[in-house]
Amino acid sequence: MKDQVFAVGYRRLPGGRPRRWAPWPIARTALALAWRKRSTKLGVVLCAMSLFGHGMALAAQVLAQRLAGSRGELMEGVMRGIVCDVHSTLASFIGVQMLACAFLLAMVAAGLVAEDRRTGAMELYFSRPLRRHDYVAGKLLAAGLVPAATLVLPFALLWLFAIGMAPPAAAGELWGLLLPGLLGALVAAATLTATILGLSALGERGRTVGVIYVVGMLVLTSLGDELPDNGHRWAGYLSPLRNVQTVADAALDAGGSGLLLQLLTSRPETNPSLALAVVCLLALIALGLGVLLWRVRTEVAG
Amino acid sequence: MLLALHGVSKRFGALQALREVTCEIDGRAVGLLGPNGAGKTTLMRVCLGLLPPDAGQVRVLGLDARRNPGAVRMRLGYAAEGPHRIPGLSGLESVAYAGELCGLPRRTALLRAHEMLDLVGLDEARQRPVEEYSTGMHQRVKLAMALVHDPELLMLDEPTSGLDPGNRDELLQLIVRLRDGDGPAVLLSTHLLHDVERVCDACIIMDRGQVRYAGSLQELRARMGDDEYVLRGEGDLGILADALQREGHAVAHGERPGALRVRLRPGAGPEAIWRAAQAVGASLWQVQRRGQRLEDAFMAAIGEGGPPP
Repeated sequence: MKDQVFAVGYRRLPGGRPRRWAPWPIARTALALAWRKRSTKLGVVLCAMSLFGHGMALAAQVLAQRLAGSRGELMEGVMRGIVCDVHSTLASFIGVQMLACAFLLAMVAAGLVAEDRRTGAMELYFSRPLRRHDYVAGKLLAAGLVPAATLVLPFALLWLFAIGMAPPAAAGELWGLLLPGLLGALVAAATLTATILGLSALGERGRTVGVIYVVGMLVLTSLGDELPDNGHRWAGYLSPLRNVQTVADAALDAGGSGLLLQLLTSRPETNPSLALAVVCLLALIALGLGVLLWRVRTEVAG
Repeated sequence: MLLALHGVSKRFGALQALREVTCEIDGRAVGLLGPNGAGKTTLMRVCLGLLPPDAGQVRVLGLDARRNPGAVRMRLGYAAEGPHRIPGLSGLESVAYAGELCGLPRRTALLRAHEMLDLVGLDEARQRPVEEYSTGMHQRVKLAMALVHDPELLMLDEPTSGLDPGNRDELLQLIVRLRDGDGPAVLLSTHLLHDVERVCDACIIMDRGQVRYAGSLQELRARMGDDEYVLRGEGDLGILADALQREGHAVAHGERPGALRVRLRPGAGPEAIWRAAQAVGASLWQVQRRGQRLEDAFMAAIGEGGPPP
C-alpha cells in the first residue's frame, strides 16, 4: 500500500460510487472475528484431524488392496475391497465431519445474529444503506463457508485422493461415489448452516446458543442411532445425520452403475422412507431460515 | 431542505411516540431539542427508515424515507446514542467496516477510516478493540463511523452524553468545524440546551411526541419579546416591583434572593426603571440587561403545548 499524507480536515469523497455487494464484507468480517477466538482454532484442528485421519485410513486401505493385488489375488476381490473401503470411509467421513463441523459452527456462527442483537450492532448495520436480505445473505455466507470448507471441499479432496491412488479399474467405479457423496455433504452443510443461524436469531448470547446447538445435535444423532435398533423406527428421522445418509444412499442407488452397486457389500444405516427423510431435512432448513428472516424482520423495518 | 415531515405519527402499543409531527427545516446545523421521552430518537429512526411511521410523509434531503430508505441512508450518517459496537473489532476496523457497508471498496474504506480517525482525534488507540474504549473514545469512533462514507447529513443522537467537560468541549468544537467547513449538515439530538446554543443555527423543539417549534434560534429568541433587565438593590424591592407592575411592565423574582426580573412593556426604555425607583425611593446598584436565553425560549415553547391530549 502506498503511503499517503492527508491533512487533518474533512475531505469530500468523489461522487458517483458504484454500489458494492454488501454481504461479502459482512461474511469476511464475521469470519475474521471468529478466527481470533481460540475455540475456533480448536474447532478447526478437530476438523483437520478428522480429515487427516480419514485420509490416512483411505490411503492405508487402498495401498493394502493394491499390495494384495500385486501378490496375485483376484482382481475382482481387489476392486471390491477398494470400492467398499473407499465408500465406507467417505460415508464415515461425512458422519464424523458433520459433528465436528457442528462444533466448529457453534464457535463461529452461534453469535452471528445473537451478538448483533445483544450489542446493538443490528442498528449499526441498518443505519447504513443495507437491506435486510443483504444482512441475511452476509450471515448465511459466513456460516455457510464453514461447512463448505470443512465438509464439502474435504469430501471432494478425499475422493480425489482415493481416485488418484486406486488402480484404473477401481477408479472407474469410484466415479459413481462422487455425486451422491457431494449431495450428502451439501445437504448436511445446508442443514447445519440454517439451524445454527435460526438458533442464533432466537438467542442473545453466542456461547449459550453454541452449547445448545452442539448438545442438541449430539442428542438428536444418538437418539436417531439408538432408538431405531430398539424398535422405534420413527426415531431415525430425528437424526439429521441419518437423514443425510438416507438421501446420499438413495442418490447412489439412483445414479450408481450396476457393477458399483454389486461391489458395495455394506451400506450405512438409513431411514426407510426417502421422502420422509427429505421432508425432515427441508423442515429443519426451512425452520432455521424462517426464524432468521422473522427475527431480522422484527428487528428492523427497512 | 434537510427534513420535511407532514403528519408523521408513530405508536408503540399504548405509547404515542410521535403525534402528527409536521415541520420543515433547513440549515447547516439543526438541534433536535426535547426532554427525555419527547420522541427525538423515534423521529430520527423514522427519518432513517428504521421505523415505518403509522401515518404521514417523511422526506429527508428531498427523498421519501419510507419508499427509498436505502438511498436516504446512503446520504445520511447516523451515530446512535447507545454503545453500539461490534466487539472484537478495533476502532480502525469498525470505521473501515462501516465504510464498506456503505459501498466503499476495502482499500478506500481503510484509507478513509484513518482519515476520519485523524479528524476525530483518535490516535494510537485506533488499533485497540472497541470494548476497551472510554465513553469519549466511543463517541469519537461513532462519529468517524457516521462520517466515513461522506454523508450529506450527519445525525447525532445525544453525542455528548456521558462525556466529561473536556471531551464534550472537544466534540462540540469538532462538530462546529464540520459545520463551518466542507462537512455535512448536522442534526444534533440532545436535551442539553448549551450544546445546541453552541453548535446550531436552527432547532426543532419536541415535547410528548409533538413539535412545539421548528425554525432558527434567532427567531425563537425573538418570539420571547424584548430583553429582560435584572435589578438588584438595597433592601426590599417589593415596592419597586409593585410600581413597575402598575406601569404595565412584567416583573418576576430573579434567580438570586432579592433580585427582580423586569420585562419592559413595548416602547419603554430602561429609564422607566430609574424613574420608578426614584419615585418610590428605591436604591438600585445593578440594572443589567440580559438577552433572552435559549433555556427560557425552550421552556416557553414546551409550556405552550399544554397537557398531552
